[in-house]
Amino acid sequence: MIKMERINKIYRPQSNPVHALQEVSLHIEGGDFVAVMGPSGSGKSTLMNVLGCLDTPSSGTYWLGGIEVSSMNSDQLASIRNRKIGFVFQNYNLLPRMTALRNVELPMLYAGVENKKRQARALDCIEQVGMLDRIHHRPAELSGGQCQRIAIARALVNSPDIILADEPTGNLDSASSLEIMHIFQSLHRNNTTIILVTHEAEIAAFARRVLHFRDGRLTADEILSPQHLKKTPLPKGGEDI
Amino acid sequence: MSLSESIRVALDSIRANLLRSILTTLGIMIGITAVIAVVAVGQGGQQSIMKEMEKFGSNLFQIRLDWRRDELPSGTEFTMQDIEIIKANVPELEYLLPCADTYSQVKAGNKAKSAQISGTEAGYACLHPLEISTGRFFSDSDCQSGRRVAVIDEELARELFPRSSALGKKILVGNQALLVCGLFKAESSPFAMGIKFVYIPTRVWLDIYPDGGISYIEGGTRNPAEVKTAMQSSIKILERRHRSENLYQGVDMEQQIQAVNKVTGVMTLVIGIIAGFSLLVGGIGVMNIMLVSVTERTREIGLRMALGARRRDILLQFLIEAIVLCLLGGITGMALGVGGAFLISALAQWPPLVSWATVLLAFAFSAAIGIIFGLLPANQAANLDPIEALRRD
Ligand SMILES: Nc1ncnc2c1ncn2[C@@H]1O[C@H](COP(=O)(O)OP(=O)(O)OP(=O)(O)O)[C@@H](O)[C@H]1O
Ligand SMILES: [Mg+2]
Repeated sequence: MIKMERINKIYRPQSNPVHALQEVSLHIEGGDFVAVMGPSGSGKSTLMNVLGCLDTPSSGTYWLGGIEVSSMNSDQLASIRNRKIGFVFQNYNLLPRMTALRNVELPMLYAGVENKKRQARALDCIEQVGMLDRIHHRPAELSGGQCQRIAIARALVNSPDIILADEPTGNLDSASSLEIMHIFQSLHRNNTTIILVTHEAEIAAFARRVLHFRDGRLTADEILSPQHLKKTPLPKGGEDI
Repeated sequence: MSLSESIRVALDSIRANLLRSILTTLGIMIGITAVIAVVAVGQGGQQSIMKEMEKFGSNLFQIRLDWRRDELPSGTEFTMQDIEIIKANVPELEYLLPCADTYSQVKAGNKAKSAQISGTEAGYACLHPLEISTGRFFSDSDCQSGRRVAVIDEELARELFPRSSALGKKILVGNQALLVCGLFKAESSPFAMGIKFVYIPTRVWLDIYPDGGISYIEGGTRNPAEVKTAMQSSIKILERRHRSENLYQGVDMEQQIQAVNKVTGVMTLVIGIIAGFSLLVGGIGVMNIMLVSVTERTREIGLRMALGARRRDILLQFLIEAIVLCLLGGITGMALGVGGAFLISALAQWPPLVSWATVLLAFAFSAAIGIIFGLLPANQAANLDPIEALRRD
């Protein structure tokens, strides 16, 4: 699904260069659930931006689903982002003037999905995150956890190859964080590829694989044992999300 | 993103900042209002003038002495003999009328009114759309024999003879008593300005005003195509007979229309320049507010890009927002302009003319302003870097 070879990202190469990513090579299979960890400034967000085709690497090659995207132009990248990638942000990034439903429909507008299908699909995804009773609410009328669920529904609507979540629980209390992680877990069970940045070990514990970054370098690549996975506590009713 | 979606987004964002949007479009609105109102009134006026002139007839011409000369050489005035000779030598002519005008008192009993006293001949009734309501216009034989007859307008008749019909009554013009042989319907054009008219045979006019002379000659041809040649031949004859050049000036319908068009052309240009400036100022206002909008919505732009909006989608979104903003101003301005035109025309007493061309032009113009002044902000939005934009708060 994802293959990176010797990716470098250098900010401000002229004045005082910042090596945000250095010689990063990695391989992620479809359907995997990967957590990215590391101290602040270690290049996690930069990696996510490159993975999400929001940014192009300074050097190296990046294949997404067998296509080399490191040399694409901005329109092609927009199309990849639209169809292959679902973003979940720390601050949700919902448009405040739109209802939850309209927010979820947004990626489909740029995919040219027709009106009727759009709404049906949006409702489908909202159902997956358990927010059907809030579709006509605006973000200001939702709690942080609810906003993040809507944001996940939005990430799902175009059936992307991968979900990229940069500290999705960073603004949430531990109860809401757990709810969100259970949603990710159920998506993982349905074979969605998920890559998630986090500072917290409890959150990373939901993943199958953890990548550790330091100073822009991939320093450790850890596969969590299935036993470890089973040990994670599931709240009651968590199964049917 | 589809056009209807883009328009929906544009309307959403305009509604979200309603007061600001209204204030922004004010400049455009006022500009369009002014243009529509002035053009409608102007075109209405022009049409009224044209209608007036059409009555003059396309087979008509007039020859006058150059009015710009302070002093005319003696022996150049029109004479009755000129008329006879021209008539005999210009076969295209159907009518040739010696005419004379003056403004003077008309009396009947103890009443006195001012009116324009025009000396002319029988053919006048054929060349002009004079609607005789009672009696008749004077005939050729009346003119030749110099009968003291007059044709007056109904309104004057009513004022002079409030109790009975004026037909067959005597009126006094100068020192001469004249028999009213016909009444005609007074014109109701805004340019008549309440002037009353009395037509009498030219011979009689010359008797009453022995110091005056024939002030102009009016000619009519059978075929409108022959007006120019008939007019020029007549002028040649006059020049030869009076041994003078460039003194007799002919005017026909075409020249008059050209003159009016020249005036309205200048007027349109002046209005156009004023409107252009007001719309320019309005457009800069729109550009300013769109730049503010782009800055405020940087995060939204970043998000849309992350979700798959291409640069041109963003460009189009903001361009459409600018166009919608301008069109809102333009359409309101159009409504106000048409209303204003009817108001002004009600006061000026001629119908306004709101042509489709004007409305379409105003519409196209507002849209064009939206495009021109929306381009810079929209381009700025489209060239944002998605990561930078997403990080902005
Ligand atoms: N636009 C930029 N210009 C210059 N330097 C940048 C830019 N973006 C990031 N950096 C630098 O690149 C390095 C990696 O940043 P990045 O945002 O990827 O870190 P991070 O691991 O996500 O940190 P955090 O956990 O705090 O979010 C940092 O040193 C940062 O200062
Ligand atoms: Mg980060």
